[in-house]
Amino acid sequence: MLVYGTVAIYYVMFVNILYFAIMGLSFRSIGTIARRAKYSSYQTLSGSELVPSVSLLVPAYNEELTIIENVYCLMTLNYPTYEVIVINDGSSDDTLSVLIKEFKLEKMHNPEIRGTIETQNVRGIYHNPDYPHLFIIDKENGGKADSLNAGINFSHYPLISSIDADSLLEKDALIRMARMYMENPEETVAIGGDVRIANGCLIENGAVKRVSLPRKIWPMFQSIEYLKAFLGGRIGWSRMNGLIIVSGAFGLFRKDYVIAVGGYRGGYPGEDMNIIIKLHRYMLSHKIPYKVAFCPEAVCWTQAPDTYKIISNQRMRWGRGNLKNMIENRGMFLNPKYKVMGLITVPYNVLFETLNPYFRITGLLALAGYTFLDMTHWRILLTFMLLNFLSGYLLSVGAVILEEIAFRRYKKLSDLWKMLLFSALKFVGYHQLGVLWRVQGHIQYLRKNNSWGTMTRQSWKEESETASTA
Amino acid sequence: MPESLTLERKQQEGLYHNLEERLNKTFPELCGVMFLYCPGPPQLESLVSEFLRQETGSDIEVLKDASTSTLAVLLPGSTLNQAHYQALLLKRHLEETVPEADPRITLTVFPGQVDPTPGVLKQMAESARLGPSADIHIFTKEEAASEPGRILIVDNDDTIREFLTIRLNMQGYETLEALDGTSALELIEKWEPDLVLTELNLYGIDGLPFINQIQKLPVENTPKIVVLTEQRVERTISQCFQHGVDDYITKPFSPVELDARIHRCFQ
Repeated sequence: MLVYGTVAIYYVMFVNILYFAIMGLSFRSIGTIARRAKYSSYQTLSGSELVPSVSLLVPAYNEELTIIENVYCLMTLNYPTYEVIVINDGSSDDTLSVLIKEFKLEKMHNPEIRGTIETQNVRGIYHNPDYPHLFIIDKENGGKADSLNAGINFSHYPLISSIDADSLLEKDALIRMARMYMENPEETVAIGGDVRIANGCLIENGAVKRVSLPRKIWPMFQSIEYLKAFLGGRIGWSRMNGLIIVSGAFGLFRKDYVIAVGGYRGGYPGEDMNIIIKLHRYMLSHKIPYKVAFCPEAVCWTQAPDTYKIISNQRMRWGRGNLKNMIENRGMFLNPKYKVMGLITVPYNVLFETLNPYFRITGLLALAGYTFLDMTHWRILLTFMLLNFLSGYLLSVGAVILEEIAFRRYKKLSDLWKMLLFSALKFVGYHQLGVLWRVQGHIQYLRKNNSWGTMTRQSWKEESETASTA
Repeated sequence: MPESLTLERKQQEGLYHNLEERLNKTFPELCGVMFLYCPGPPQLESLVSEFLRQETGSDIEVLKDASTSTLAVLLPGSTLNQAHYQALLLKRHLEETVPEADPRITLTVFPGQVDPTPGVLKQMAESARLGPSADIHIFTKEEAASEPGRILIVDNDDTIREFLTIRLNMQGYETLEALDGTSALELIEKWEPDLVLTELNLYGIDGLPFINQIQKLPVENTPKIVVLTEQRVERTISQCFQHGVDDYITKPFSPVELDARIHRCFQ
C-alpha cells in the first residue's frame, strides 16, 4: 500500500515536470510568434496570386440560428482565393432552407464531385452565381466526420480547412495560417488554429468588435482552460512536432494527405484527434518528413457551452473520443518507430490524459487512507495538496503571461485580475468535475453509448446584445 | 455625424426634386427661376412674394429651403431679360426697406441653356448663397458642366480613407466615408453618390456579392464603381470587370493614376 502512495507521488511530480517542460518550450517560441504576428505583411499577402487556394468546410447540423451570420463572416475573410462549403448534415431544423432563402441558392444540375471517400448519400448541391465562392452540400445525416468527407469530395482546392459552424474566424486568421504553411509547404500537413471563447465579447457584422471575458462562470473557466491548453500546451508540443490534435473548430490540412489516410473516421467523436494521429502514422510509416504545426496567431472565436448539462455532455464526449483513439492506436504506445509520437505524445496522452482521473482518485484515496490510519501526518497531506495546487496555478499564470507577451487580446486590467482569480478558483470544484466527466465518458464508452449528446446554440445576436448591455 | 448629414441632405433633396417636377410638368414652356439668399429679415418669404406679385402682376411662387434659408422663386412666363429686370427691382427694394441687407441672387430660365435637374438647381442655390460677388448672377451652361461629383469611399483602413478624402476634396469632389460593406450599401441608397471607390476586403459583405448588391440597389442612377484593393488575383479582377466594375486599381497605388482614372469616370 505504501508503494502505491509513492508511485502516486512520483506520478504527480512527473506529470508536473512534463507540464512545465512543455510550457518552457512554449516560452521559448513565444518571442518569434509575437514578432511574426506583428511584422508579417498580411495585407499584401492576402491579395497575392501566390497564396494557395483553400476550401473551407463547414459541417452544420441544426444550426439555423447561427449559420447565416457565420457564413457571412466566412465569406469576408482576408484571403485571395477560397471557397466556403457548408455541409448540411441532414439537419432536422431549417438550416438548409434559411441558407437557400438568404443567399437565393439554386440546386446545381450537374455538380462535379471528384473525391472518392465513401459518404452518406448527397441529396444535392446548392449554389448562386452571385456568390461565386459559396456552396451548400445537402446530405443524409452521417455525423461530423462524414460531412467533412463529403466536403472534401466536392472541394476544388488543394488545401482544406475545417471550421465549426458555431465559430467565427478573425478576418486575418486564414491568411496567417497560410503564411505559416507557405514557409514549408512541402512538409506541413496540418496546422491548428488558436480557439478562444467568444462568450462575453461584442460581436458585430460577423466579427468580434470588443474582446472581454465571459460573465458566466462555466464559459469563464473554459476561457482559462483553453488559454492554458492552446498557448501553454500546443505551442510547446508543436515545437517538438508532437501535436496529437488540431482542434476541430479550426484547422488547415493538405487535402492529398487527408485523402491518402482515408479521410475522417466516422461513427465516433474525437475525429479531430483521429485524423492527426492517422496523419502522423501515415507520414512516419512512409518515412516522409512532415510537420503538424500550431499557429497561435490565427484566432477562431467559439461559443462555449454555458450550462452544466451541455458542458458535461461535451466533456464526456471528449473523454470517450480520447479513450477510443488511444485504444485504437495502442500499437503506437512506446513504439520507437513512431519517434516523438510513439515515445512521448501517445504515452503522455495515455498516462496523463486518459488515465489521469484514476491516478488522481486513487492517489487521493491512498493519501487520505494513510492519514486516517495515522501512517502519515496530516501536515504532509496538506503540503502535498498545496504543492499540487501551486504548480497547477503556476501553469495557468504562465499561460496568461504568454498571452500578455504575444497577443494582449484582453485590454482591460480588470480582465487580467479576473483571469488570475479564476485560475485559482478552477481548482475548487471545476477541476474535480473535469475528472468526473472524463470517468463518465469512459463509462459511456464501455456501455457503447455513442451519441453526440445535446449541443444547443445561441444566436450570436443575443450573445452580443447581452455583451453590449453589460 | 454622417447620419445627421444624410438626413439634412434628404430634406434638401426633396425640395429640389419637387422643383424639378414643377418645372417640367406645370411650367414646361417658359419659366424664370431665381434663387435668393438674404439673411436678416424674418418675413422674407412674404416680403418677396408681395413685392414681386405687385411688380409682375402674374402668379409667382416662392419656396423655401429650410436648412439653408435660401428662397427659390418661380416666375412663370418670364424671359431671361424679364427675370433679370425683376431681380434688379427686388434687390433694390430689399436694400431700401431692410437695413443692412445684402441680397444675393442667381437666376436663369428653363428651358434654356441648362436642364432643370435637381443637381443644377441645387448648384444654383449654392452659388447664390456662397458666390463671391454681390452682383446678380446669371447661371450658364459652363458652370453646370463643372458640377462636382459625389464619391463614396469604402475602406476599413482609417489612413487610406483619410488620405483619399483629403485628396478628392481638394479636387472639388464631395465625399463620404463608409467603414464596411453593410453601411456602405445603406449610404449609397440614401446619398446616391456618382461613384463608389471601394476596397474588396470589407466587413459585413464584400467582394463580388458587394458589387452585385450595389448594382441591385433601388437608386435612380447606379453609381460607377472603382475598386481600389490589395486583391491582385487575376481571376478576381476579370470577374469584377465582368460584373460591371468601371475600373480596378491595386494597392499600393499611384495617387496621380487614381486621379486620372476617377476623372475619366466622370467624363
